[in-house]
Amino acid sequence: MKAARWLIAIVAALVVVAAPWFVGEGALRFVSEAMLMLAMAQMWNLLAGYAGLVSMGQQVFVGLGAYALFFASISLKLAPFWVLPLAPLVCAAVAAVVALFLFRLREAYFAIGTWVFSEVVSLLISKTERLGGERGIGLPTARLIGAHWLEPLTFWISAAIAVGAVAGTYALLRSRVGLGLMTVRDNDVAAASIGVDVWRNRFIAFVLSAAGCGLAGAVSFTATLYVAPSFAFDPNWVVAMMFIVIIGGIGTLEGPILGVVIYFALRELLTVAFGLTGGWYLVGLGLVAIATMLFEPAGLWPLLRARVGGDWLSVRRHPPDREWRAIMPSTSDAERRAAEERSRRGSAH
Amino acid sequence: MIWVETLVNGILYGGLYGLLGVGLALIVGVMRVVNLSHGEFIVLSAFIGVSLVGAVPWVHPLVLIVPVAVIAFALGFGLQAVLINRVVTRPDPFAAILLTFGVAVVMRNLMVEVFGADPRNLPAGRLAQASAGVFGLHVGVLPIIILALSIVLFTGLQLILTRTRFGRIVRATADHRDVVRLMGVNPGRVYNVVMGLSLALASVAGMLLAMRSSFTPYSGVERLLISFEVVVLGGLGTFWGAMLGGITLGVAELVGLRFDTNAGPLYAHLLFLIGVLLRPNGLFRVRG
Repeated sequence: MKAARWLIAIVAALVVVAAPWFVGEGALRFVSEAMLMLAMAQMWNLLAGYAGLVSMGQQVFVGLGAYALFFASISLKLAPFWVLPLAPLVCAAVAAVVALFLFRLREAYFAIGTWVFSEVVSLLISKTERLGGERGIGLPTARLIGAHWLEPLTFWISAAIAVGAVAGTYALLRSRVGLGLMTVRDNDVAAASIGVDVWRNRFIAFVLSAAGCGLAGAVSFTATLYVAPSFAFDPNWVVAMMFIVIIGGIGTLEGPILGVVIYFALRELLTVAFGLTGGWYLVGLGLVAIATMLFEPAGLWPLLRARVGGDWLSVRRHPPDREWRAIMPSTSDAERRAAEERSRRGSAH
Repeated sequence: MIWVETLVNGILYGGLYGLLGVGLALIVGVMRVVNLSHGEFIVLSAFIGVSLVGAVPWVHPLVLIVPVAVIAFALGFGLQAVLINRVVTRPDPFAAILLTFGVAVVMRNLMVEVFGADPRNLPAGRLAQASAGVFGLHVGVLPIIILALSIVLFTGLQLILTRTRFGRIVRATADHRDVVRLMGVNPGRVYNVVMGLSLALASVAGMLLAMRSSFTPYSGVERLLISFEVVVLGGLGTFWGAMLGGITLGVAELVGLRFDTNAGPLYAHLLFLIGVLLRPNGLFRVRG
């Protein structure tokens, strides 16, 4: 079983590495975009699905990541990908500072508070001539990368970011922080009473989510070689993240993967096959999201999971119930419950 | 002198901001739901106003506020009855936020497709240029009418909620949604009317704002943020708080524009963030 998984992983990695030689440029760009969108959606899912923080301002980190990369690359005269690590670092630092006051707001207030913050940053950058003001700036240093290397590099990095976002979120949720986050989401009073630091867990999730969005945003704008405030801080970034997560399944790791497939399939169907404008596409997507919220608030993944079975990326921990009964078949129910209680408490600390 | 004039104009402008926010404050207070499509409905009512002006050009836009408000009431009633009531009782506090956000995105893009993305405004005729000199200060007549109308609506809303049987039912529903059912009140139906009222107030603000400055289908975002800031800065419970919050933001914006001509709403947003930082308690308290 384990060997088979490794084999699948290695084959998948080889396919990704080899893809640029077999796939056309358009398809490559399309997959890169989908990969980056998946990473961003997963970051939004980490906040809304696990940390109980609905952010309407995640686009601020997409934009800040892009500007951090452009600014550093141009001022240091380095190829954009060398300064890529700066993008998540800048975003994490900004998120850590801004969390100090945005965390005073709860629920819908936090949601719109983050949005206001994003607008403020967007307006400030529009007024900064050094960063190109409203007109935006190009990326002349992209020439330092060979022209035919830019697309494949973007593709590989995007794929790595997407895998990293999913695997990283998985690892985080399996850790103590993740356990803390989920207890807070399910019952914050009970979580606080067993000593879970609500603020600290949310802070970690917010900072990591900002870093992830910044990284994906930086790569996304490197591919277009141009950044301007109206694109970088476009609320449609967060619209896409939200719709992908809601339609796919909020609070599951597989949900955003399914959501990205639906998001891009719907886009290709409406804009290419039916020739509709981007506006109609967003209308259609919004209607699907509304229907999902009304009839299937857990999203489509739980429905699909019931059909195909299997918990691929479930972070649920299974109590050692079956083994326990195999060893001690005559255990009374009360004793078993007590043992479960002990194991639950042990893992929460 | 110019500063006094800026201050007075800020207060007049802020009264309109207060009116933008009071509808949102009403539904946050009564059903603890933030309607993220509030801004889109403000813009939609302005578009309905523009269409009505096209149909009956001899009627002054100020008069057309009445039919637009009636339409907005019906839209709000329908929105609540068809969509929001289905999620408002869910324990998940995000269901209504995400649902109304979906509605906002659908409406914004439908308006782009139907009305186009060009900036529009409502022609207020001679009234737009008229100004009155008061002790040497030049103040527009239209802004004064707008502020007066805002105060009348605020007072009316306050009276409805405190003095009438309907107002008593609304306040009781806000306090105990489940208990009022025992008294024969259907909370869903109360919510329908409250959402209708909320959007009717928003539509009045939307019409008045469209007479003062131009708008596009994308203006809803800005309108929502201002409305929301008004609610948070004003604090909940009293509608006069929303009025004061609106005036504070209006003054901040116009004073900011004096320093910095292309700042837009930057200084209003900054004031809001500072307000959040300095007064974390009480300022954004949801009753209950």
